[in-house]
Amino acid sequence: MSDATLAIEPSGPKPKPIFSRRNIIVYGSLIVICLYYLVPLYVMVVTSLKGMPEIRLGNIFSPPLEITFQPWVKAWAEACTGLNCDGLSRGFWNSVRILIPSVIVSIIIASVNGYALANWRFKGANIFFTILIFGSFIPYQVMLYPIVIILREIGLYGSLTGLVIVHTIFGMPILTLLFRNYFTSVPEELFKAARIDGAGFWGIYFRIMLPMSLPIFVVAMILQVTGIWNDFLFGVVYTKPDTYPMTVQLNNIVNSVQGVKEYNVNMAATIITGLVPLTVYFISGKLFVRGIAAGAVKG
Amino acid sequence: MAESANAGMAGAAATLGGRNGNEGLFLTSLFTALAVWLGLALGLSGLLGGLGDYAPWATILLPWIPLAVAAYAAFNMVRTHPGSVNFTGNRLRGYAIGWLVIAAVLLVIAVAGQPLKPVMDLLGKSGQIIVDFCADYGYFLAACCVLIAVGLLATGARDEASEAPGRVERTFVQKLTAKVSAIPMALVAIGVFTGGTIWTVIFSFTNSKLLPTTKWVGLDQYVRLWGEARWIISIKNLAIYGVCSLVLSLVIGFILAALLDQKIRFENTFRTILLYPFALSFIVTGLVWQWVLNPDFGVQQVVRSLGWTDFVFDPLYNQDIVIFGILIAGLWQGTGFIMCLMLAGLRGIDEDIWKAARVDGIPMWRTYLFVVLPMMRPVLITTLVIIASGIVRLYDLVVAQTSGGPGIASEVPAKYVYDKMFLGQNLAQGFAASTMMLLSVFIVLVPWAYLEFGGGKKNNE
Repeated sequence: MSDATLAIEPSGPKPKPIFSRRNIIVYGSLIVICLYYLVPLYVMVVTSLKGMPEIRLGNIFSPPLEITFQPWVKAWAEACTGLNCDGLSRGFWNSVRILIPSVIVSIIIASVNGYALANWRFKGANIFFTILIFGSFIPYQVMLYPIVIILREIGLYGSLTGLVIVHTIFGMPILTLLFRNYFTSVPEELFKAARIDGAGFWGIYFRIMLPMSLPIFVVAMILQVTGIWNDFLFGVVYTKPDTYPMTVQLNNIVNSVQGVKEYNVNMAATIITGLVPLTVYFISGKLFVRGIAAGAVKG
Repeated sequence: MAESANAGMAGAAATLGGRNGNEGLFLTSLFTALAVWLGLALGLSGLLGGLGDYAPWATILLPWIPLAVAAYAAFNMVRTHPGSVNFTGNRLRGYAIGWLVIAAVLLVIAVAGQPLKPVMDLLGKSGQIIVDFCADYGYFLAACCVLIAVGLLATGARDEASEAPGRVERTFVQKLTAKVSAIPMALVAIGVFTGGTIWTVIFSFTNSKLLPTTKWVGLDQYVRLWGEARWIISIKNLAIYGVCSLVLSLVIGFILAALLDQKIRFENTFRTILLYPFALSFIVTGLVWQWVLNPDFGVQQVVRSLGWTDFVFDPLYNQDIVIFGILIAGLWQGTGFIMCLMLAGLRGIDEDIWKAARVDGIPMWRTYLFVVLPMMRPVLITTLVIIASGIVRLYDLVVAQTSGGPGIASEVPAKYVYDKMFLGQNLAQGFAASTMMLLSVFIVLVPWAYLEFGGGKKNNE
């Protein structure tokens, strides 16, 4: 194929039979592994569509005989955590209220950081950047309490704003790295031309960098949306029961000790919680892979 | 007379490192050092302020040491260049005036906080916050502002007298917007990451219970930590989970990547399926696997109903193997990610290597094992560090899947820290445990950093 000019002789690899031994081994093992990966998802969906009597009969793998959406309704609107019984919906809206400002603020700050680091190198900037990258490996547990004190001092402990700040702080290393690497790859001539035309720091950022780097903003957004939605530790530490994000509430619903365990409701609640990141994942496809690999491979 | 003035000038230039061209470098590094110090002092004293009894000391001591140094430098400057301190000389001095004004405002609010109250009440709740803040930190911040002003003034005077007037001003003011815009990053890097870590380590040597106190108890907390059965179990669990998860996820990840690398069809579909668990929360993963591994309804029951009536598979209810139950879920979630990293590494290998191996008649598995794998060293190391730092954080999964049970058989260090800090009202134990976690990360991180950046320090200039 590469030698299109010499295409007198037959070119390309030798045609292989579809059912060669190699193909059977490769595809066979891949399909088996994929089935293993899909089983939990399948079990989740199937269980959430069954009624409790059917679940008690046994087999978690069998498809539901009678499909019922009752568990989903109950998980969304009636499941109990402690005293209040308004289901997961409250946690969902809390998570949304946390998610939107966190994503916006963290991306704005990190993109400006990355831009300053890539195009406006000044002395000392790399010290901060190095600390930031090393900081991303430090266990969160080490910084949990100092941040509690900081938030308490400025009166934001337990509020959603406080949690937004926390997400901004801990999203900063990876996002800054992402943006720095991307902005470094933008041709320097563009930057210089803009400088000569008289654009300043913000002028170049808004007129050149921002329009040119929309894909990386989408990648950062995917990264932050899934990351923040899936967070549990910060939610449980920095919020109060009535502002708990969805993951914390889900855990409280499923692992509560009182009452009869309703496995179908639990599984419905679990799916609802996983639905947002899964949707983002399946829609974004390759961008998601790019997002998670960008931080790791070039770091 | 003129001669002595000249000598004084030369002396001042020498003391400030003013040999040709080095001056800007010297001053900027001085300022970087000052900025780092300032951030640290602010971060730490802000945290210490929460204590009450520590705050006065921090506010009194911290700013004055470098302030004295700066004042001495300024004094020298004025002595050797009489008449150089005019406040309109250049831009740096204009900035100095600005900082002095800020200092004055802070002092006024700090001193006259109560009389100013009616004015501040006009601002509503934020006015109250400002008054409280200034009452606590006003003097300290004012001192910092004066310090910055003095530094600017001295630099301005120095700049004017140097052989290239205006040079330092340009170096300093250059890219100012970029510097200002990087303030959040600097605050997080210094104040939270560095300051917070140091704070936790320091307070792990105290006797803090419900609130942090400064009662020093030396290594007592660590002695107690290592005497607790729960901590020992946590460490054992983490070690087992860590080793297994490291080895297995690397091996499985590499095999999967190699399978996907065979120029197969539907590669995207396969990858999408293998990676989707990574998009899920650890809580979701933990709860699903808790259900699948449930002995009454899950895998065990299904196999039994197939006729194998004494089949036993209940990892989450058996103290000896509970950690492997968690491992199954952890691997299910994480291997897809490792596979993606490995695949990126494999794709980075030169196609010619494969051709060469093919010509030499080396079987494919041997090429993978002995040629490609060693070539992927950088990717492998990065992956290793990522997995390792993830393992230490293992928390959500355990909470969701077993809550540390049965008994305390599946406790992990991160959970120990959380429980001691926020449930057990035993802060210092939590600090000590988290310091141990930090230490274990350092053991992984330092050799890696040495390998990665050890050779030569990168220079951007």
